[in-house]
Amino acid sequence: MADLTELTRSMADLDKKRVLGLVEEKLKRRVPPLEIVKELNDGMIEVGNRFTACEYYISELMFSSHIYKEIMTTLEPLLGHVEPDKTAGTVVIGTVKGDIHDIGKNIVVTLLRNAGFKTIDLGVDVPADKFVVALRETGARVLALSCLLNLAIQEMKNVVEALIAAKIRDQIKVVIGGQPIDEKICEYVGADDYGADAPAAVRICKQIYGQ
Amino acid sequence: MQIIGEKINGTLQEVKTAIRERNASFIRDLARRQVEAGAALVDVNAGTRPDEEPDALSWLAKTVQEAVEVPLCLDSANPHALAIALQEIKQTPMINSISGEPSRLDGILPLVSRHGCSVIALAMDENGIPKGVNERLTVVRRLMDRTRDAGLPDEKVYIDPLVMAISTNTEAGVIALETMRAVRAEFPEAHLCAGLSNISFGLPARHLVNRVFLTLALAAGLDAAILDPFDRELRGEMLAAELVLGRDRHCLNYTRSYREGRIGHKRNPG
Repeated sequence: MADLTELTRSMADLDKKRVLGLVEEKLKRRVPPLEIVKELNDGMIEVGNRFTACEYYISELMFSSHIYKEIMTTLEPLLGHVEPDKTAGTVVIGTVKGDIHDIGKNIVVTLLRNAGFKTIDLGVDVPADKFVVALRETGARVLALSCLLNLAIQEMKNVVEALIAAKIRDQIKVVIGGQPIDEKICEYVGADDYGADAPAAVRICKQIYGQ
Repeated sequence: MQIIGEKINGTLQEVKTAIRERNASFIRDLARRQVEAGAALVDVNAGTRPDEEPDALSWLAKTVQEAVEVPLCLDSANPHALAIALQEIKQTPMINSISGEPSRLDGILPLVSRHGCSVIALAMDENGIPKGVNERLTVVRRLMDRTRDAGLPDEKVYIDPLVMAISTNTEAGVIALETMRAVRAEFPEAHLCAGLSNISFGLPARHLVNRVFLTLALAAGLDAAILDPFDRELRGEMLAAELVLGRDRHCLNYTRSYREGRIGHKRNPG
Protein backbone atom coordinates (compact mmCIF):
# COMPACT_ATOMS: atom_id res chain seq x y z
CA MET A 1 0.00 0.00 0.00
CA ALA A 2 3.09 2.21 -0.32
CA ASP A 3 1.65 4.45 -3.01
CA LEU A 4 -1.77 5.04 -1.45
CA THR A 5 -2.54 8.48 -0.07
CA GLU A 6 -3.37 8.97 3.57
CA LEU A 7 -7.04 9.53 2.72
CA THR A 8 -7.17 6.33 0.67
CA ARG A 9 -5.49 4.40 3.45
CA SER A 10 -7.85 5.82 6.11
CA MET A 11 -10.84 4.88 3.95
CA ALA A 12 -9.43 1.38 3.48
CA ASP A 13 -8.87 1.12 7.25
CA LEU A 14 -12.47 2.33 7.87
CA ASP A 15 -11.15 5.09 10.12
CA LYS A 16 -14.23 7.29 9.74
CA LYS A 17 -13.01 10.09 12.01
CA ARG A 18 -9.73 10.39 10.13
CA VAL A 19 -11.46 10.22 6.76
CA LEU A 20 -13.87 13.02 7.65
CA GLY A 21 -11.02 15.10 9.08
CA LEU A 22 -8.85 14.68 5.98
CA VAL A 23 -11.72 15.52 3.59
CA GLU A 24 -12.45 18.71 5.54
CA GLU A 25 -8.79 19.66 5.54
CA LYS A 26 -8.45 19.04 1.77
CA LEU A 27 -11.57 21.10 1.02
CA LYS A 28 -10.08 23.99 3.05
CA ARG A 29 -6.89 23.72 0.97
CA ARG A 30 -9.04 23.92 -2.21
CA VAL A 31 -8.13 20.45 -3.40
CA PRO A 32 -10.51 19.74 -6.35
CA PRO A 33 -13.49 17.69 -5.09
CA LEU A 34 -13.11 15.24 -7.99
CA GLU A 35 -9.59 14.43 -6.79
CA ILE A 36 -10.88 13.78 -3.28
CA VAL A 37 -13.55 11.44 -4.70
CA LYS A 38 -10.89 9.55 -6.65
CA GLU A 39 -8.84 8.98 -3.47
CA LEU A 40 -11.98 7.76 -1.69
CA ASN A 41 -12.80 5.43 -4.58
CA ASP A 42 -9.31 3.93 -4.39
CA GLY A 43 -9.96 3.33 -0.70
CA MET A 44 -13.25 1.60 -1.52
CA ILE A 45 -11.48 -0.65 -4.02
CA GLU A 46 -9.02 -1.64 -1.30
CA VAL A 47 -11.97 -2.39 1.05
CA GLY A 48 -13.39 -4.64 -1.67
CA ASN A 49 -10.03 -6.38 -2.00
CA ARG A 50 -9.86 -7.04 1.73
CA PHE A 51 -13.41 -8.39 1.68
CA THR A 52 -12.54 -10.72 -1.20
CA ALA A 53 -9.48 -11.86 0.76
CA CYS A 54 -11.79 -12.62 3.74
CA GLU A 55 -10.05 -10.07 5.95
CA TYR A 56 -13.10 -7.85 6.06
CA TYR A 57 -16.62 -9.10 6.70
CA ILE A 58 -19.99 -8.03 5.31
CA SER A 59 -20.53 -5.61 8.18
CA GLU A 60 -17.30 -3.82 7.29
CA LEU A 61 -18.20 -3.69 3.61
CA MET A 62 -21.48 -2.05 4.57
CA PHE A 63 -19.74 0.37 6.94
CA SER A 64 -17.49 1.51 4.10
CA SER A 65 -20.58 2.28 1.98
CA HIS A 66 -22.04 4.17 4.93
CA ILE A 67 -18.90 6.34 5.30
CA TYR A 68 -18.75 6.92 1.55
CA LYS A 69 -22.41 7.95 1.30
CA GLU A 70 -22.01 10.37 4.20
CA ILE A 71 -19.04 12.10 2.58
CA MET A 72 -20.73 12.22 -0.82
CA THR A 73 -23.59 14.26 0.67
CA THR A 74 -20.95 16.96 1.26
CA LEU A 75 -19.01 16.47 -1.97
CA GLU A 76 -21.79 15.84 -4.49
CA PRO A 77 -23.05 19.47 -4.54
CA LEU A 78 -19.46 20.64 -5.06
CA LEU A 79 -18.97 18.41 -8.08
CA GLY A 80 -21.48 20.39 -10.09
CA HIS A 81 -22.04 18.85 -13.52
CA VAL A 82 -19.00 16.65 -13.39
CA GLU A 83 -19.87 13.00 -12.78
CA PRO A 84 -17.41 10.80 -10.90
CA ASP A 85 -15.88 8.27 -13.23
CA LYS A 86 -18.35 5.43 -13.85
CA THR A 87 -17.22 4.29 -17.26
CA ALA A 88 -16.58 0.63 -16.54
CA GLY A 89 -20.06 -0.24 -17.86
CA THR A 90 -23.66 -0.54 -16.77
CA VAL A 91 -25.17 -3.58 -15.05
CA VAL A 92 -28.85 -4.16 -14.31
CA ILE A 93 -29.17 -6.39 -11.26
CA GLY A 94 -31.90 -7.81 -9.06
CA THR A 95 -33.23 -10.80 -7.13
CA VAL A 96 -35.86 -12.56 -9.24
CA LYS A 97 -39.56 -12.72 -8.48
CA GLY A 98 -40.49 -15.18 -5.75
CA ASP A 99 -37.30 -14.57 -3.79
CA ILE A 100 -36.51 -11.76 -1.35
CA HIS A 101 -32.97 -12.64 -0.31
CA ASP A 102 -30.59 -9.80 -1.12
CA ILE A 103 -27.41 -9.85 0.96
CA GLY A 104 -25.38 -11.58 -1.75
CA LYS A 105 -26.81 -9.30 -4.42
CA ASN A 106 -26.00 -6.23 -2.33
CA ILE A 107 -22.40 -7.36 -1.94
CA VAL A 108 -22.14 -7.72 -5.72
CA VAL A 109 -23.62 -4.22 -6.17
CA THR A 110 -21.11 -2.73 -3.72
CA LEU A 111 -18.13 -4.44 -5.36
CA LEU A 112 -19.35 -3.46 -8.86
CA ARG A 113 -19.74 0.18 -7.82
CA ASN A 114 -16.29 0.14 -6.23
CA ALA A 115 -14.94 -1.18 -9.53
CA GLY A 116 -16.44 1.76 -11.41
CA PHE A 117 -19.59 0.13 -12.79
CA LYS A 118 -22.90 1.91 -12.93
CA THR A 119 -25.42 -0.43 -11.30
CA ILE A 120 -29.20 -0.32 -11.65
CA ASP A 121 -30.33 -2.28 -8.60
CA LEU A 122 -33.98 -3.26 -9.00
CA GLY A 123 -34.19 -4.80 -5.55
CA VAL A 124 -35.91 -8.09 -4.74
CA ASP A 125 -38.94 -10.03 -5.99
CA VAL A 126 -38.45 -8.43 -9.42
CA PRO A 127 -40.76 -9.59 -12.22
CA ALA A 128 -39.29 -10.36 -15.65
CA ASP A 129 -40.82 -7.39 -17.45
CA LYS A 130 -39.19 -4.97 -15.00
CA PHE A 131 -35.76 -6.30 -15.99
CA VAL A 132 -36.66 -5.90 -19.68
CA VAL A 133 -37.77 -2.29 -19.19
CA ALA A 134 -34.61 -1.40 -17.24
CA LEU A 135 -32.36 -2.95 -19.90
CA ARG A 136 -34.15 -1.06 -22.69
CA GLU A 137 -34.06 2.25 -20.80
CA THR A 138 -30.42 2.10 -19.74
CA GLY A 139 -28.82 0.30 -22.68
CA ALA A 140 -26.98 -1.92 -20.20
CA ARG A 141 -25.28 -4.92 -21.78
CA VAL A 142 -25.21 -7.05 -18.63
CA LEU A 143 -28.12 -8.46 -16.66
CA ALA A 144 -27.20 -10.00 -13.31
CA LEU A 145 -29.81 -12.21 -11.65
CA SER A 146 -29.65 -13.36 -8.05
CA CYS A 147 -31.53 -15.92 -5.98
CA LEU A 148 -31.19 -18.05 -2.88
CA LEU A 149 -34.26 -20.31 -3.19
CA ASN A 150 -34.46 -23.27 -5.55
CA LEU A 151 -37.89 -22.24 -6.72
CA ALA A 152 -36.39 -19.03 -8.13
CA ILE A 153 -34.42 -21.05 -10.68
CA GLN A 154 -37.53 -21.46 -12.82
CA GLU A 155 -38.12 -17.72 -12.59
CA MET A 156 -34.59 -17.05 -13.87
CA LYS A 157 -35.46 -19.19 -16.89
CA ASN A 158 -38.63 -17.08 -17.30
CA VAL A 159 -36.54 -13.90 -17.33
CA VAL A 160 -34.28 -15.25 -20.09
CA GLU A 161 -37.36 -16.19 -22.07
CA ALA A 162 -38.76 -12.68 -21.57
CA LEU A 163 -35.53 -11.28 -23.07
CA ILE A 164 -36.00 -13.55 -26.09
CA ALA A 165 -39.64 -12.51 -26.47
CA ALA A 166 -38.57 -8.83 -26.27
CA LYS A 167 -35.99 -9.53 -29.01
CA ILE A 168 -33.09 -8.21 -26.90
CA ARG A 169 -31.51 -11.53 -25.80
CA ASP A 170 -28.65 -11.23 -28.31
CA GLN A 171 -27.64 -7.82 -27.03
CA ILE A 172 -27.49 -8.85 -23.38
CA LYS A 173 -25.11 -11.05 -21.42
CA VAL A 174 -26.99 -12.79 -18.60
CA VAL A 175 -24.97 -13.64 -15.50
CA ILE A 176 -26.58 -15.51 -12.61
CA GLY A 177 -25.57 -16.18 -9.04
CA GLY A 178 -26.80 -17.45 -5.70
CA GLN A 179 -26.68 -20.40 -3.38
CA PRO A 180 -28.18 -23.11 -5.63
CA ILE A 181 -26.52 -21.96 -8.85
CA ASP A 182 -24.06 -24.22 -10.64
CA GLU A 183 -23.08 -25.04 -14.21
CA LYS A 184 -26.06 -27.37 -14.80
CA ILE A 185 -28.48 -24.73 -13.58
CA CYS A 186 -26.78 -22.05 -15.65
CA GLU A 187 -27.39 -24.25 -18.71
CA TYR A 188 -31.00 -24.96 -17.70
CA VAL A 189 -31.74 -21.29 -17.22
CA GLY A 190 -30.09 -20.32 -20.51
CA ALA A 191 -27.72 -17.81 -18.89
CA ASP A 192 -24.33 -16.93 -20.37
CA ASP A 193 -22.33 -17.38 -17.18
CA TYR A 194 -22.57 -17.73 -13.45
CA GLY A 195 -20.56 -16.29 -10.56
CA ALA A 196 -19.72 -18.69 -7.73
CA ASP A 197 -19.24 -15.69 -5.46
CA ALA A 198 -19.37 -11.89 -5.55
CA PRO A 199 -15.77 -11.32 -6.70
CA ALA A 200 -16.35 -13.85 -9.51
CA ALA A 201 -19.40 -11.87 -10.62
CA VAL A 202 -17.33 -8.69 -10.80
CA ARG A 203 -14.60 -10.47 -12.80
CA ILE A 204 -17.22 -11.71 -15.29
CA CYS A 205 -18.67 -8.20 -15.71
CA LYS A 206 -15.18 -6.82 -16.30
CA GLN A 207 -14.53 -9.51 -18.93
CA ILE A 208 -17.80 -8.76 -20.71
CA TYR A 209 -16.98 -5.07 -20.90
CA GLY A 210 -13.53 -5.94 -22.19
CA GLN A 211 -11.34 -4.98 -19.27
CA MET B 1 -37.08 -27.14 23.76
CA GLN B 2 -37.96 -29.09 20.63
CA ILE B 3 -34.95 -29.70 18.42
CA ILE B 4 -35.69 -29.98 14.72
CA GLY B 5 -32.68 -31.63 13.07
CA GLU B 6 -31.57 -29.59 10.07
CA LYS B 7 -29.06 -31.89 8.40
CA ILE B 8 -31.17 -33.47 5.64
CA ASN B 9 -31.07 -30.42 3.42
CA GLY B 10 -30.49 -30.72 -0.31
CA THR B 11 -28.62 -27.42 -0.41
CA LEU B 12 -25.76 -29.21 1.40
CA GLN B 13 -23.46 -30.82 -1.14
CA GLU B 14 -23.31 -34.34 0.37
CA VAL B 15 -27.07 -34.50 0.81
CA LYS B 16 -27.62 -33.07 -2.69
CA THR B 17 -25.55 -35.93 -4.11
CA ALA B 18 -27.33 -38.54 -1.98
CA ILE B 19 -30.71 -37.27 -3.20
CA ARG B 20 -29.58 -37.21 -6.82
CA GLU B 21 -28.27 -40.79 -6.55
CA ARG B 22 -31.17 -41.93 -4.33
CA ASN B 23 -28.63 -43.12 -1.74
CA ALA B 24 -31.11 -44.41 0.85
CA SER B 25 -28.59 -45.70 3.39
CA PHE B 26 -26.90 -42.28 3.60
CA ILE B 27 -30.21 -40.56 4.33
CA ARG B 28 -31.38 -43.22 6.78
CA ASP B 29 -28.12 -43.00 8.70
CA LEU B 30 -28.26 -39.19 8.84
CA ALA B 31 -31.83 -39.32 10.14
CA ARG B 32 -31.07 -41.96 12.77
CA ARG B 33 -27.98 -40.15 14.09
CA GLN B 34 -29.88 -36.86 14.42
CA VAL B 35 -32.60 -38.52 16.48
CA GLU B 36 -29.99 -40.25 18.65
CA ALA B 37 -28.43 -36.82 19.21
CA GLY B 38 -31.74 -35.49 20.49
CA ALA B 39 -33.76 -34.29 17.49
CA ALA B 40 -37.49 -34.47 18.20
CA LEU B 41 -38.29 -33.94 14.51
CA VAL B 42 -36.28 -34.41 11.33
CA ASP B 43 -36.46 -31.64 8.72
CA VAL B 44 -36.31 -32.79 5.10
CA ASN B 45 -35.54 -30.33 2.33
CA ALA B 46 -35.14 -31.64 -1.22
CA GLY B 47 -33.17 -28.63 -2.50
CA THR B 48 -33.89 -29.57 -6.11
CA ARG B 49 -35.34 -27.72 -9.07
CA PRO B 50 -39.12 -27.22 -8.70
CA ASP B 51 -39.98 -29.88 -11.31
CA GLU B 52 -37.86 -32.49 -9.52
CA GLU B 53 -39.09 -31.60 -6.05
CA PRO B 54 -42.25 -33.75 -5.62
CA ASP B 55 -40.36 -36.96 -6.40
CA ALA B 56 -37.32 -36.02 -4.31
CA LEU B 57 -39.35 -34.89 -1.29
CA SER B 58 -41.50 -38.06 -1.39
CA TRP B 59 -38.43 -40.23 -1.60
CA LEU B 60 -36.85 -38.41 1.34
CA ALA B 61 -40.01 -38.80 3.44
CA LYS B 62 -40.28 -42.52 2.65
CA THR B 63 -36.58 -43.13 3.32
CA VAL B 64 -36.34 -41.22 6.59
CA GLN B 65 -39.42 -43.02 7.94
CA GLU B 66 -37.67 -46.35 7.31
CA ALA B 67 -35.06 -45.32 9.89
CA VAL B 68 -36.80 -43.25 12.58
CA GLU B 69 -40.16 -42.94 14.27
CA VAL B 70 -40.20 -39.22 15.06
CA PRO B 71 -42.34 -36.87 12.99
CA LEU B 72 -40.92 -35.26 9.86
CA CYS B 73 -40.72 -31.56 9.19
CA LEU B 74 -41.49 -31.18 5.46
CA ASP B 75 -39.46 -28.22 4.27
CA SER B 76 -40.87 -26.81 1.00
CA ALA B 77 -42.67 -23.76 -0.36
CA ASN B 78 -44.14 -25.85 -3.18
CA PRO B 79 -47.74 -26.97 -2.40
CA HIS B 80 -47.60 -29.63 -5.11
CA ALA B 81 -44.41 -31.19 -3.69
CA LEU B 82 -45.93 -31.11 -0.19
CA ALA B 83 -49.17 -32.75 -1.36
CA ILE B 84 -47.26 -35.59 -3.04
CA ALA B 85 -44.91 -36.10 -0.07
CA LEU B 86 -47.83 -36.09 2.39
CA GLN B 87 -49.07 -39.29 0.73
CA GLU B 88 -45.98 -41.07 2.09
CA ILE B 89 -46.33 -39.82 5.65
CA LYS B 90 -47.09 -42.29 8.44
CA GLN B 91 -47.11 -39.86 11.36
CA THR B 92 -48.60 -36.34 11.40
CA PRO B 93 -45.76 -34.09 10.25
CA MET B 94 -44.84 -30.45 10.65
CA ILE B 95 -44.96 -28.30 7.52
CA ASN B 96 -42.18 -25.80 7.02
CA SER B 97 -43.64 -23.28 6.19
CA ILE B 98 -46.46 -20.83 5.51
CA SER B 99 -46.22 -17.06 5.55
CA GLY B 100 -48.56 -14.15 5.00
CA GLU B 101 -47.90 -14.32 1.24
CA PRO B 102 -51.28 -15.16 -0.32
CA SER B 103 -49.91 -17.80 -2.70
CA ARG B 104 -48.14 -19.61 0.11
CA LEU B 105 -51.03 -19.30 2.57
CA ASP B 106 -53.74 -20.27 0.09
CA GLY B 107 -51.66 -23.07 -1.35
CA ILE B 108 -50.40 -24.69 1.83
CA LEU B 109 -52.81 -23.93 4.68
CA PRO B 110 -55.53 -26.24 3.25
CA LEU B 111 -53.00 -29.11 3.27
CA VAL B 112 -52.05 -28.26 6.85
CA SER B 113 -55.61 -28.23 8.12
CA ARG B 114 -56.69 -31.28 6.10
CA HIS B 115 -53.93 -33.43 7.58
CA GLY B 116 -53.93 -31.81 11.05
CA CYS B 117 -50.27 -30.87 10.74
CA SER B 118 -48.36 -28.49 12.90
CA VAL B 119 -46.96 -25.64 10.85
CA ILE B 120 -44.13 -23.14 10.95
CA ALA B 121 -45.47 -19.66 10.14
CA LEU B 122 -43.05 -16.99 8.94
CA ALA B 123 -43.76 -13.45 10.15
CA MET B 124 -43.70 -11.93 6.67
CA ASP B 125 -46.06 -11.34 3.74
CA GLU B 126 -46.12 -10.19 0.10
CA ASN B 127 -44.58 -6.87 1.17
CA GLY B 128 -41.41 -8.64 2.19
CA ILE B 129 -39.75 -8.83 5.57
CA PRO B 130 -41.29 -6.39 8.06
CA LYS B 131 -38.73 -3.90 9.31
CA GLY B 132 -39.61 -3.70 12.99
CA VAL B 133 -41.33 -5.50 15.84
CA ASN B 134 -44.77 -3.89 15.43
CA GLU B 135 -44.86 -4.61 11.70
CA ARG B 136 -44.00 -8.27 12.36
CA LEU B 137 -46.75 -8.50 14.99
CA THR B 138 -49.27 -7.13 12.50
CA VAL B 139 -48.40 -9.94 10.09
CA VAL B 140 -48.45 -12.55 12.88
CA ARG B 141 -51.94 -11.46 13.94
CA ARG B 142 -53.22 -11.85 10.39
CA LEU B 143 -51.60 -15.28 10.16
CA MET B 144 -53.11 -16.43 13.43
CA ASP B 145 -56.56 -15.27 12.24
CA ARG B 146 -56.13 -17.48 9.19
CA THR B 147 -54.86 -20.54 11.08
CA ARG B 148 -57.67 -20.22 13.62
CA ASP B 149 -60.22 -19.84 10.80
CA ALA B 150 -58.80 -23.02 9.29
CA GLY B 151 -59.54 -24.83 12.55
CA LEU B 152 -55.94 -25.10 13.73
CA PRO B 153 -55.43 -24.81 17.50
CA ASP B 154 -52.71 -22.31 18.44
CA GLU B 155 -50.53 -25.16 19.80
CA LYS B 156 -50.08 -26.38 16.24
CA VAL B 157 -48.59 -23.08 15.09
CA TYR B 158 -44.84 -22.42 15.34
CA ILE B 159 -44.20 -18.76 14.67
CA ASP B 160 -40.85 -17.84 13.15
CA PRO B 161 -40.05 -14.24 14.14
CA LEU B 162 -37.57 -13.97 11.21
CA VAL B 163 -34.02 -13.81 12.40
CA MET B 164 -31.94 -11.58 10.13
CA ALA B 165 -28.17 -11.29 9.86
CA ILE B 166 -26.56 -8.94 12.35
CA SER B 167 -23.78 -8.20 9.89
CA THR B 168 -26.25 -6.28 7.75
CA ASN B 169 -28.24 -4.70 10.59
CA THR B 170 -26.90 -4.24 14.11
CA GLU B 171 -30.47 -4.27 15.46
CA ALA B 172 -31.31 -7.67 13.98
CA GLY B 173 -30.86 -9.55 17.27
CA VAL B 174 -32.88 -7.09 19.33
CA ILE B 175 -35.70 -7.06 16.77
CA ALA B 176 -35.87 -10.86 16.76
CA LEU B 177 -35.83 -11.12 20.55
CA GLU B 178 -38.44 -8.41 21.09
CA THR B 179 -40.68 -9.97 18.45
CA MET B 180 -40.42 -13.26 20.33
CA ARG B 181 -41.38 -11.62 23.62
CA ALA B 182 -44.33 -9.83 22.04
CA VAL B 183 -45.60 -12.99 20.29
CA ARG B 184 -45.20 -15.04 23.48
CA ALA B 185 -47.25 -12.47 25.42
CA GLU B 186 -50.04 -12.20 22.85
CA PHE B 187 -50.26 -15.85 21.77
CA PRO B 188 -49.26 -17.85 24.83
CA GLU B 189 -50.36 -21.19 23.38
CA ALA B 190 -48.49 -20.84 20.11
CA HIS B 191 -44.86 -21.89 19.79
CA LEU B 192 -41.83 -19.87 18.70
CA CYS B 193 -39.42 -21.51 16.29
CA ALA B 194 -36.33 -20.13 14.59
CA GLY B 195 -33.32 -21.26 12.59
CA LEU B 196 -30.17 -20.40 14.48
CA SER B 197 -27.63 -19.71 11.81
CA ASN B 198 -29.08 -16.63 10.08
CA ILE B 199 -28.03 -14.35 12.90
CA SER B 200 -24.33 -14.93 12.36
CA PHE B 201 -24.29 -14.89 8.55
CA GLY B 202 -21.28 -13.02 7.19
CA LEU B 203 -19.37 -12.91 10.47
CA PRO B 204 -16.37 -14.87 11.70
CA ALA B 205 -16.61 -17.45 14.56
CA ARG B 206 -20.29 -17.96 13.77
CA HIS B 207 -20.78 -20.58 16.47
CA LEU B 208 -20.16 -17.97 19.19
CA VAL B 209 -22.89 -15.72 17.87
CA ASN B 210 -25.33 -18.60 17.29
CA ARG B 211 -24.95 -19.91 20.83
CA VAL B 212 -25.37 -16.56 22.53
CA PHE B 213 -28.41 -15.93 20.38
CA LEU B 214 -29.92 -19.30 21.37
CA THR B 215 -29.49 -18.54 25.07
CA LEU B 216 -31.07 -15.10 24.76
CA ALA B 217 -33.84 -16.48 22.54
CA LEU B 218 -34.69 -19.19 25.06
CA ALA B 219 -35.16 -16.45 27.64
CA ALA B 220 -37.37 -14.52 25.19
CA GLY B 221 -39.70 -17.48 24.67
CA LEU B 222 -38.19 -19.64 21.92
CA ASP B 223 -39.30 -23.24 22.40
CA ALA B 224 -38.32 -24.90 19.14
CA ALA B 225 -35.32 -24.49 16.86
CA ILE B 226 -34.00 -25.82 13.60
CA LEU B 227 -30.39 -26.60 14.32
CA ASP B 228 -27.46 -29.01 14.04
CA PRO B 229 -28.11 -31.73 16.62
CA PHE B 230 -24.48 -32.88 16.33
CA ASP B 231 -23.17 -29.63 17.77
CA ARG B 232 -22.16 -30.84 21.22
CA GLU B 233 -21.25 -27.39 22.59
CA LEU B 234 -24.61 -26.04 21.44
CA ARG B 235 -26.44 -28.88 23.13
CA GLY B 236 -24.59 -28.23 26.39
CA GLU B 237 -25.36 -24.52 26.27
CA MET B 238 -29.00 -25.17 25.47
CA LEU B 239 -29.42 -27.51 28.44
CA ALA B 240 -27.58 -25.07 30.71
CA ALA B 241 -29.80 -22.20 29.54
CA GLU B 242 -32.99 -24.21 30.15
CA LEU B 243 -31.63 -25.13 33.54
CA VAL B 244 -30.93 -21.53 34.52
CA LEU B 245 -34.35 -20.47 33.21
CA GLY B 246 -35.99 -22.84 35.65
CA ARG B 247 -37.22 -25.26 32.99
CA ASP B 248 -35.35 -28.36 34.17
CA ARG B 249 -36.99 -29.73 37.29
CA HIS B 250 -34.50 -30.97 39.86
CA CYS B 251 -31.87 -30.34 37.17
CA LEU B 252 -32.64 -33.87 35.97
CA ASN B 253 -32.20 -33.31 32.23
CA TYR B 254 -28.89 -31.59 32.80
CA THR B 255 -27.39 -34.17 35.17
CA ARG B 256 -28.66 -37.12 33.13
CA SER B 257 -27.22 -35.68 29.93
CA TYR B 258 -23.91 -35.17 31.67
CA ARG B 259 -23.81 -38.74 33.00
CA GLU B 260 -24.62 -40.05 29.53
CA GLY B 261 -21.62 -38.12 28.24
CA ARG B 262 -23.76 -35.98 25.95
CA ILE B 263 -22.65 -32.63 27.36
CA GLY B 264 -19.55 -31.30 29.06
CA HIS B 265 -16.02 -32.35 28.28
CA LYS B 266 -15.77 -35.62 26.48
CA ARG B 267 -14.76 -38.23 29.01
CA ASN B 268 -13.48 -41.77 28.49
CA PRO B 269 -16.17 -44.41 29.24
CA GLY B 270 -15.81 -46.50 32.42
